[in-house]
Formats: sequence, structure tokens, C-alpha cells
Amino acid sequence: MTNSAIELPLEGIRVFELGTAIASPFCGRLMAHYGADVLKIESKVSPDVVRILGSAWLRDRDDLAAAAPDTSPYVPEMNASKRSVGLELKTSAGRNAAMGLIAECDVFLANFGARALTELGLDYESVSAVNPKIVYVQLPGFGSDPDMPYYSYVAWGPNQAPLVGFDDFTGHASDPPAGIATVAPPDYMSALHAAVATLSGLEHRELTGDGVHVDVSQFETTLALLGPFVMDYDLSGTVHSRIGNRSLWGAPQGVYPCAGHERWIAISATDDESWDVLAALMELPDDHFNDPDQRLSQQEQLDSQIGTWTVDFDADDLAHRLQSVGVAAHVVSTNEDLLHDTHTMSRNWYQVAPHARLGRDVFSDCAVKLKGTPGRWTDAGPSLGQHTREVLRDVAGMSDEEISQLVTDKCAFEQLEPETLVPRPWDDWIHLLVPGTADARDL
Amino acid sequence: MAGPYNGLRVVDTTGLAGAYATRLFAGLGAEVIRLEPPDGSPLRYLAPFAESIAPPENSLWWSYLAMGTRSVVIEPDNNDALAQILSSADVIFEDRLPEDSLISPDLVPDTTVRTSIVPFGLTGPKRSWKSSNLVAWAASGVLYATGFRDRAPVAPAGHVQLALHASAASALVGTLLALRARRKSGEGQQVEISIQEAALAIAPETGVPVFLDDRVHRERSGNRRDLGRPFGLYPCSDGFVSIIVLLPRHWTAMASWVAEATGNETITEEVFEDLGVRMETQDLIDTWVEELTVGQSRQELFQEGQRRGIPVTPVNTVNALLDDPHLKAAKFWSETQLPDGSSVAVPGAPFRTNADWWTMTAAPLLGQHTEFYLE
Repeated sequence: MTNSAIELPLEGIRVFELGTAIASPFCGRLMAHYGADVLKIESKVSPDVVRILGSAWLRDRDDLAAAAPDTSPYVPEMNASKRSVGLELKTSAGRNAAMGLIAECDVFLANFGARALTELGLDYESVSAVNPKIVYVQLPGFGSDPDMPYYSYVAWGPNQAPLVGFDDFTGHASDPPAGIATVAPPDYMSALHAAVATLSGLEHRELTGDGVHVDVSQFETTLALLGPFVMDYDLSGTVHSRIGNRSLWGAPQGVYPCAGHERWIAISATDDESWDVLAALMELPDDHFNDPDQRLSQQEQLDSQIGTWTVDFDADDLAHRLQSVGVAAHVVSTNEDLLHDTHTMSRNWYQVAPHARLGRDVFSDCAVKLKGTPGRWTDAGPSLGQHTREVLRDVAGMSDEEISQLVTDKCAFEQLEPETLVPRPWDDWIHLLVPGTADARDL
Repeated sequence: MAGPYNGLRVVDTTGLAGAYATRLFAGLGAEVIRLEPPDGSPLRYLAPFAESIAPPENSLWWSYLAMGTRSVVIEPDNNDALAQILSSADVIFEDRLPEDSLISPDLVPDTTVRTSIVPFGLTGPKRSWKSSNLVAWAASGVLYATGFRDRAPVAPAGHVQLALHASAASALVGTLLALRARRKSGEGQQVEISIQEAALAIAPETGVPVFLDDRVHRERSGNRRDLGRPFGLYPCSDGFVSIIVLLPRHWTAMASWVAEATGNETITEEVFEDLGVRMETQDLIDTWVEELTVGQSRQELFQEGQRRGIPVTPVNTVNALLDDPHLKAAKFWSETQLPDGSSVAVPGAPFRTNADWWTMTAAPLLGQHTEFYLE
């Protein structure tokens, strides 16, 4: 799986991560994939939301309660290849142990609220006092300056998207805003910016020898994606709002019905070249829409004509036909479609790695691919508290007795019931999903 | 100090799929050269436009995303000029498959990082398929699950082009990793971004591992989400607010707010503290919450909800953002100059540092730097 002779870009970098849900964990996972030793600091008192979610098939299994925090599919989606360290930071012994780890880390990464970090004594000033060379990257909802109006506001779950205007931009023009609560682009965009900030911080440290403090206010970071619309409002007073699936740049672009229940195709044919081949395929009786301005000004009519044409086709067949003549199109994939997507499968988009509790598990690959130094997945977990002892011993230099005392005092915790092993119900057919893993049971 | 990538030379031949990456790169100090054909980058033809300016300098996409970069025009068959520019490139960004690339491999030094952002990746049965922001969301499962149940699916924040910005941001991360690897090995390498995968990566909610786990066919659920109540968008006097109540303390605060504002004492009854009960009575809960929201403005509900510790946010429109008191106090908004000399508001640095990293200049005119680089 891994060519150990290749040195990965982040080998030798150690990350102290205080993450919950997406924004900081997704960044940490990327770094772990590329060789960083990412220490995910976890709490049982206020656990990461992915530990609470658990797994649908485990819901009524009280006998497996110890395994539950390890079983949400979001655990590896956000945390694969990290080490899990159980430390209660609100206890002074737990915090001291954390400081011992921080002294040995290159990067501090956190998406706890700015006020929460300060209350824990883990703001930049406190952390850099222990480790002046630390690259400190925090992702609070509204920045870390306590004098700013929204400093103490709750940035919880998907409420960043409405705030930055994404929800108003989502939906058909004649409908109320549909919102984008299904997914959370602001969290992921913040995570990607945090990765850029972290790598820049490491570069800064190489050049200057100094650490650095980066404040990724998720509110501001997400707004950086709205440039042209802000400018247009400032220049002309135009308030852009939702336009369904249409494009400002040409027509047609849309989602059209196909044969069957809830089968749809997405088509973008906004340039003349695409339109010409689409029109030829549709065998349009006249050249009424050959003029791009006509297509833009009469989108209602154009879309309805296309929808009447697409409705008799199988969505996937039609996407293949359109792509074969150079028109951007794709079936509007459902979960079931993605499960059978031969393209993503041929690219091994789903990966499998060993897991201390489940034996092995499947999760999404990293979209950032490097040919010369490909990343690696060492662990599909981690299991909650799995690495507490080894990390406190090997990184912070604590003795086994000291660690046991921390655990006894409930300042730290280790993996619950390591002997409780439970494969996922679908473990037997993982090889159908991930090509080449038929014999992967002994990973 | 200047940005950490000061001294690095980056050549960008992409359109929208890479532009956000090189904008960031330029802000962080890199020297970014945008290679343009004689009629200009495709970015220059994207609306909205500045009315007072003539093409090809009037696109606000260009004016925003090309900030901090330099423009060099190369005639299609001028291989010498191309070779000259590429010979000193630390990084090249491309959005074409190798067989369609204008840059033949022998023009690229071994030490150069070559970053390709392509619709479906460099391998696989769909490698030559075309894409767009809409098509990328379709291929990620997100499109199907967004919108109202009885309406066609819609892309998230369609014209913002989020799938392409996610691809660009991912490409920058990959490029910075490859530069780090180069410091150790002395060698450049290929970085690959599939736009489909960049969208899949930021949407595990609709992805296969989650589906395997719960076997729930994801359906569109409009602007409310069946994870809790209240959860989603609620109408108010000047638009909508977003309310997300999952945690018990958020519910307790929400119920007393509704009771105080509307005189509804029933909502504070203990039975509704159970999330399951609220889901079973969701229509009732929504009605009660709307009795609170419809009479007040976005800002009133935002301030008061947050004062009570509830995750309430306005469903903002672009104009509200420019007036937002937090962004004003934080001096977030910046300015750039358009070619006619007018100033216009733009988002400022995407993150803040205690070191002085971020610098920006106006987007270049077509060919503004050709002479500088090719003479």
C-alpha cells in the first residue's frame, strides 16, 4: 500500500489538534494523510460530535456501548490516520499533560470557539509561551478578537451558510430560499484554508525561525468566495440572488427530468459549441436558439423544450451520449448511483484501512493527489482514546505510573474495552466496493 | 516580512477551476504569471461586468480572482516565448488533460510542480468528460439532495461556483505539499485534482460510507432539515432567519423565547424537551416558532437569539453583508481599483496572521506584463 522509501511532505511534523466535527478535523486528516503525526485530543466529558453520532446498526445494542463512539462513518471521514489521545483539558493535570505534548508539537490546530480556547488557557499567548515556534492555527466562527461584535456568538453547525449568503443563493428564483443545510461548504472551505495557512506557517517558520498565529475566522474566510457579487453590489447596487441551476454566462444550463421516478440529468451547454451539438442531438426543427442572446433571454422556453426531450431517456445513457459529443452532463447521482459509480471505483475513491475496533473500515480518499509522494492511510479510526498511553509516554515522556494516575483521576482516559471487536454488518462485501481488497482481511 | 511564498514563480494557465488558488498564492507572496491567449483568459468573459469599462477588462470575476497576478500574452505558436516563461517556473497550474495541454513535457523543468485540475481526474472511464460547477455537484450526490421535494434539485449557491473554488483550494494545498516535498527531494512532481472528487470530499453527508451505514436514501427536504426542530429557515418580516436547535440547552432557551414573545406557555412544557417528540410534532413546533419570527426582522432575531445563546443567524443577502457591523468593526472589507480608476469593495484577506503575509494589487490589464517578461 505504501512505499516506505518515499518521504512524505509532512513527515516529522507533529500536530496537536483540538477539533470537533469538520473544520479543524478535516484539515488535520489531510495532514495526517501526508505524513504528519496528528494527535487528536479528545474528551469524554464533551466529546466530538462524530463520537456522539454512532452508527445506525448499533443503535439498540447496549452490549456494544463501548464500541459506539468508534462506529460513526464520520469518524474516519474526518479523522483517519490520526492518533486519539483522551485528555480532559478542564482538569489541571489533564491540561498540564496537554502542555507537555504541545511543547513537542509543530502545529496547534483548533476549531473550538475562541472564548473556549481562552478559558482553557490554550489561546495563542499561553501556547506560544510554552512553544514559541508553534504554528498556531485556529478556526473560530467569528475570529479571535474579543472586541469584535460577534466574538461570543454561537457558530453552530450549518449556520455559517445562511450568514454569508449561500442559503439565499440556493433555490429556484420563484421559490423561497432552499438553503444548503444538507452539506456544509463553509466548514470544508475553512478547513482547506486552514491547510493553506498551516503549510504557509511551516514555510514561514523555515524562513524566519519564528512561530506564527493564524486566525481563520470562518465568517470572513467563506466571504472571500463572494468577490464578484460584492463588487457588483458596490458598483451598481445589484443584489444577486438565487437563479436555480441557471448560469449568468449562457444558456442552457439546468437539471432536467429523465425516464423513471426522480431521475434527473444535469446539463451545462452554455457555450455555442456545446449548444450546437446539443441542438443537433435534439433535432430541433428551427434555428431559433442559435443566437446565444435568445437562449439567455428565453430560458423558460428553452428549458421546457429540453425537458420534453430528456424525459424519455435513461439518465445515465443520456449523460454518456451527451459527453460523447462534448457536452458537459451527468446523471444527478443518488446515494445508490454513487455506490455503483464505476468511474470513482476505478480511481479507488473509497479506501480501506485497518481499524482497532472494526477490523477494517471504508472511507473517502483525499481529493488532493500527489504522484511523486502519494499520501497514505494508516488507520481507519482512531478508536476513542486508543493512543493515550503511547502518546503520553513517547511524546510527552511520561512514565506508565504517571499515566495510570492521570487515568485514575479521570484527567485522561484510554480506549474502553479493547477486547470488544465488532465488524461492520457489510464487512464481508467490502471487496465489491473497493477493488483489490478481496484479500484485505489481514491488513 | 512579505508573504511566505515570496520569491516563488507560478505560471497559471487555468480558468475558473484554478483561479481562486493562484489568487491566494499571490496574496501569500508568490509571483503569479497568468498566461493569456491574445483575446484574453476565459475569466475575462464572465458576468457580472463593470458597466463603465469595455471588454476584455470589465469582468468582475477577472477583477477579483486575478488580483495580485501578472498578465503575459503569448501568441498560440510562439513556443520560444512559452519555453522562456516556463523555464523558470516553480509551479504550473493547468486545467487540461495532458493530451490537450499547450505545454509539452519537454518545456517543463524536472524541478517544476505541475498541478492539474481536471473534471474527472487524469484516469478512469470518464477522464475525458467535461464538467461545470453544476455537473460536479450532480456527480457528488449533493445536487440530488438539495432543494424542495416537489421541485427539481438545485445546486448549492449555484452561481458562486463553490465546487470549482473547492477544487482550486484543494489544488493549492496539493501544490504547497509538493513544494515541501521538493525541498527534501529537489524534484517537482504532478499534483492531480479531480473536480468530481473535490466535490465528493466536501460532501461525505451524501457519500457512500454514510449511506452504507444508515441505508437512508437521501431525499430533498426543502429548507428545513429532519435532524431536529426548529432546524432550518424560518420566515421573518424582511426575509428569513436560520435557526438550528439540536442541543437541549438551545431548545430550553428557544422555548422560553417563544413563550415570552407570543404568550405560548404550552411550548415550554417538559414533553417538548424530547427531540423525538418535537420531530413527531414538527408542524406544530414550526407554527409556534413562526409566530415568533414573522413579526421581527432578521437583525432583531439574530441579536436577540444570539443574546439568548441560540444559534440564530440571518439569511443574508449581499447588501446586508456590506453593512454587517461585525465585518465593519473588524475592517474586513478591502478595496481594489478597476481599470477606469474607480474603487470597489472586495473581500479582504481570507485569514489573519500576526506576521505580515497578505498583500494584494489590482488585477492586471490584458498583456500588461508581456514586455517585462518576454523582452
